[in-house]
Amino acid sequence: MGREVAETCMEGMIFEMVSTYSTRFYATKPELAARRIEAIGYQVGLQLSERYTTERPRFSDHLEAIKFICKDFWSELFNKQIDNLRTNHRGTFVLQDNRFRWLTRVRINSLPKKMDASQHDPSAPTPDNKTAQATSMHLYFPCGIIRGALSNLGIPCAVSADISNLPACEINYIL
Amino acid sequence: MANTACFIIVSRNDIPIYEAEVGSAPKKEEAAHQHQFILHAALDIVQDLAWTTSAMFLKAVDRFNDLVVSVYVTAGHSRLMLLHDSRNEDGIKSFFQEVHELYVKILLNPLYLPGSRITSSHFDTKVRALARKYL
Repeated sequence: MGREVAETCMEGMIFEMVSTYSTRFYATKPELAARRIEAIGYQVGLQLSERYTTERPRFSDHLEAIKFICKDFWSELFNKQIDNLRTNHRGTFVLQDNRFRWLTRVRINSLPKKMDASQHDPSAPTPDNKTAQATSMHLYFPCGIIRGALSNLGIPCAVSADISNLPACEINYIL
Repeated sequence: MANTACFIIVSRNDIPIYEAEVGSAPKKEEAAHQHQFILHAALDIVQDLAWTTSAMFLKAVDRFNDLVVSVYVTAGHSRLMLLHDSRNEDGIKSFFQEVHELYVKILLNPLYLPGSRITSSHFDTKVRALARKYL
């Protein structure tokens, strides 16, 4: 179970999937597209969490499982660990990643008049909320992955993501 | 070496997703029902025991006459349970680990709905081959 693929292939495939679901399959219903993408992420998260936990002992409580997500799971997926984990001890956790891999290629043009020599910018130079919406579509897949992984480890939760400043990304989950 | 062995996999929703008689002893019909019953009855014990330890292999959790139930719990809380009469603990542990690998491979199949019955005949053949090898 260990063949390798270039990371850019993965990123390209995910981008393509999100754009296909948003523009071709459910062009008029973005909420449905978002739900489908999240459902795909959910199943992937289930499978990945089973796969990555074969070698290690099981978890004795919720905090252990969340730490596993922050460290091992994140480093398997993105080759780095979560930068910051906060909790309010009442069931809400906030994971912060300062350089979210799949979003590093996305720029939101805050200055529409200036010509930026930015890489591959899939968001068109339109008003901010439209680009924000397009970018937020990309977040449903990782949210689904995390929700699937946590559900498989026994923690049903609601996951939401927040990109106030790219490429940093905050993911909240509420037990 | 004739021995009785019955192996089931129970998912986290307490639904058996795979059952097999893997012993090399000649089969008897009443015994098969009894084996299932014993394994299902041991589920309660496994439930309590699973939360006390973070190991995956819980050794012998229950006994009945001279049959012993051994259990292996995965992180996703799927229980692999084996009813047997042998005493070869290392063999049983290796058996469980190999079946766990096979189970993860089944899970990785995108067309397999997690929690549904495992109907793949390849899986069945491989599990029986592993049982012959390790038990």
